[in-house]
Amino acid sequence: MKKLTVLLVALLAILLVACGSDEPETVEVPVEIGGGANSEADTAADDETDLGVTESMDEMPMVDPLNVTGDIIEAGSSTVFPLAEAIAERFIDEGYSGNITIDSIGSGAGFSRFCEAGETDIANASRPIRDSEVESCQAIDRDPIEFRVGTDALAVVVSSDNDFVDDVTFAELQAIFSTAENWSDVRSEWPDEPIQLYIPGTDSGTFDYFVEEVFEEDPEPMLSADPQMSEDDNVLVQGVSASPYAIGFFGYAYYQENQDILQALSIEGVEPSAESVDNNTYPLARPLFIYSDCSVMNDKPQVNDYINYFLTNVNEVINEVGYFPASDDALNQARDSWLNCNN
Amino acid sequence: MASEAPLAPTTRVDTSALDKKPRARETIIQALLFIAGAISILTTVGIVYVLVSQAWLFFSDQQVNIVEFFTGTTWQPRIGRFGVWPLLSATLMITTIAMFVALPAGLGTAIYLSEYAAPRTRARLKPILEILAGIPTVVYGFFALTFMTPLLQSIFGPQVQVFNTLSAGIVVGILIIPMVGSMSEDALQAVPDSLRQAAYGIGATKLETSLRIVVPAAISGIAAAVVVAISRAIGETMVVTIAAGSGPNFTLNPFEAAETLTGHIARISGGDLSYDSVDYNSIFALGLLLFVITLILNMISRRIVARFREVYE
Repeated sequence: MKKLTVLLVALLAILLVACGSDEPETVEVPVEIGGGANSEADTAADDETDLGVTESMDEMPMVDPLNVTGDIIEAGSSTVFPLAEAIAERFIDEGYSGNITIDSIGSGAGFSRFCEAGETDIANASRPIRDSEVESCQAIDRDPIEFRVGTDALAVVVSSDNDFVDDVTFAELQAIFSTAENWSDVRSEWPDEPIQLYIPGTDSGTFDYFVEEVFEEDPEPMLSADPQMSEDDNVLVQGVSASPYAIGFFGYAYYQENQDILQALSIEGVEPSAESVDNNTYPLARPLFIYSDCSVMNDKPQVNDYINYFLTNVNEVINEVGYFPASDDALNQARDSWLNCNN
Repeated sequence: MASEAPLAPTTRVDTSALDKKPRARETIIQALLFIAGAISILTTVGIVYVLVSQAWLFFSDQQVNIVEFFTGTTWQPRIGRFGVWPLLSATLMITTIAMFVALPAGLGTAIYLSEYAAPRTRARLKPILEILAGIPTVVYGFFALTFMTPLLQSIFGPQVQVFNTLSAGIVVGILIIPMVGSMSEDALQAVPDSLRQAAYGIGATKLETSLRIVVPAAISGIAAAVVVAISRAIGETMVVTIAAGSGPNFTLNPFEAAETLTGHIARISGGDLSYDSVDYNSIFALGLLLFVITLILNMISRRIVARFREVYE
C-alpha cells in the first residue's frame, strides 16, 4: 500500500512538473546566473527584492542536479519524510541520476542509524538531537550538524460561525477531544450542544503528533469519542466549517488556506502565528530538522549537494507538503552551517 | 435477473439431430462462449479466495476476537477494537432509508410506465430512466453533499451534520430508483394482456386492474428487483464515502455522521496502511461480510422467484 502510494505520488509529481514546467524554469534561470557567477549586478538585484534577508543564500553555490551522481541514504522522522520526499522528487526531476533512499522510521530510529550504525548519510528528525545521541555519534567519529528545514505546527480550528471559543487550555483541549459530549461539559458558559470532532486519520503523522502532545501517546481516549476521520484535509475543512459546534485540527498551512471559513484557536493564550511558532511559545509546533556530518558531506559530494539543494529549495515546496517554513534566521543559520562544512 | 428466468424452461429444443457433424466454426464459437462464461466464474472464485484467505489472517490475529467482531460496538483498529456494529448499523440504516425512497418511487414509475403511459410516452421515458442509472455515482455523492444536506439542514436545522446518513440514504435511494423501476416494469410487462382484458371484462377500473391483478401477478419479479436493489444499496460506496461520514459511529440518529462498511474500506485502503497489518487484513474481513450479505440476499431473491412465480401460458 505504501509503495503504491509513493508510486502514485511520484506519478502525480511528474505530471504536475510536466504541466507546470514553464513556471520553475523562469524562476530558476536568473538564480542560476546570479549564484554561479556571483555577479555584482544580480546580487544587488536580489538584495533589493529580498531586502537583504537571504544574504547567505547568495553565497551558497548553485547545485545542478544533472552533475550529481552517487547514492544518498536518508532515514528518520515520518513527519520530515514527505518534505524530504518532495525535495528528492524535485532533485531527481532536475537530473540527479543516483539513488536516494528515504526511510520513514521515526526520529529516534533515524538517529540510531546515523549515530550508532553510521549507515545513513542524513538523519531526519522532528526534534533536536539529544545529548546521548550526540555522544554515540561522536563515538563513531561523527559530529552531527543540524539543519533546520521547517516547522510542523498544528492548528486547532473551529468554524468561523463559532462565536464562543477562541482560547482553550491544554486540559480543555483534552476534554474536548475525548470525554466531553457537549460543549457545556467543558466550560459551563459554552452551549449545550454536542461536540463534533474532525481529525486526521490514524495513519497520519499529524494524528500521532496530536496524540503525543495532548494525550501522552495514548490514542484510546480520542478514538473512543467516535471522531470523524479523514486523510483528506479537505474533508476535515468541510466538516469543521459547516457547523459552529465542530472542532478539528490539522497542519497550520492548511488552516492558512482556509482562513475565510475557519478560525484557529489560541492554546494557553498563545495564538498560532509565524512568530509564536518561531519562538516556540505555541505549544503545538515542533521544529523539523535534517542532520548530517561534515566528514560525510566531504566524503560524499552528492550528500553535500543534496543538502545544499534542500536548503535552497525547501521553501518552495514546504507549503505544498503542509508545513510551516522555518524563519529566515533559522534557515540562514542552516545555510551557514553548510558553508562551514565546505570551508 | 428475474425477467430472464421465466423464459428458460420453455426454450429448450432438442438439437441432437443437428449435432451429428461437428463443425469447426461451431466448436470455436462454443469454446469462446465457454471462456467468456468461465472468466466471470473464475473471477468470483478468485475474489472469494482472496477474501477468505485474508479474512482468515484477520480472524486468527491475537488482537481479534470473533465474538467481539460480531457483537462489539466500537470499531477502531488503531486501538485494537474490532466490533463491526458501528459500520454495519450505518450500512443497514442507509439501506433502509434508501429503500423507503426507492420502493415507492420505483414501483410507482414501473406501474405508470407499464399500465398508464401511452406507448409513445413510454418509449421516451424508459430510456431517460435508464440514463439516470448511468450517472456516475461520484456525481450522486456530491449531489448529496452539496444539495441534499443543505436542503435537510434548512428543514431540520443545525442538528443535521454536514456528513449524515439521512442525506446519503436518500440519494442512494434516488440512485437505485431506475433499477427498481426498470426491473419491476419488465416484470409488469411480462404479465399477459389477457389478464388485464379479463379484469376490464368484469368491470374493474384501471387502478384496480393495475394494483389487484397485474402487480400481484408480477410480484415475484418485483420482489426480485427489490432484493437486487437492496444489494446494490448495501454495496454502494462512492455516495456514502463522500456524504455519509468518515468515522465509525454507533448511532441510529440519521442526522449524525456515520461510516458504512464500504465507506470504511474505501477510506482505510486509501490511507497509508502498511501491508500485512491487522488493520489491513480487517478490510478483507469487512469485504467478506459484505459478500456474505449480498450472497444471502441473492439466494433469498432466487427463492422468492421460484416460490411466487406465476406461470401463464
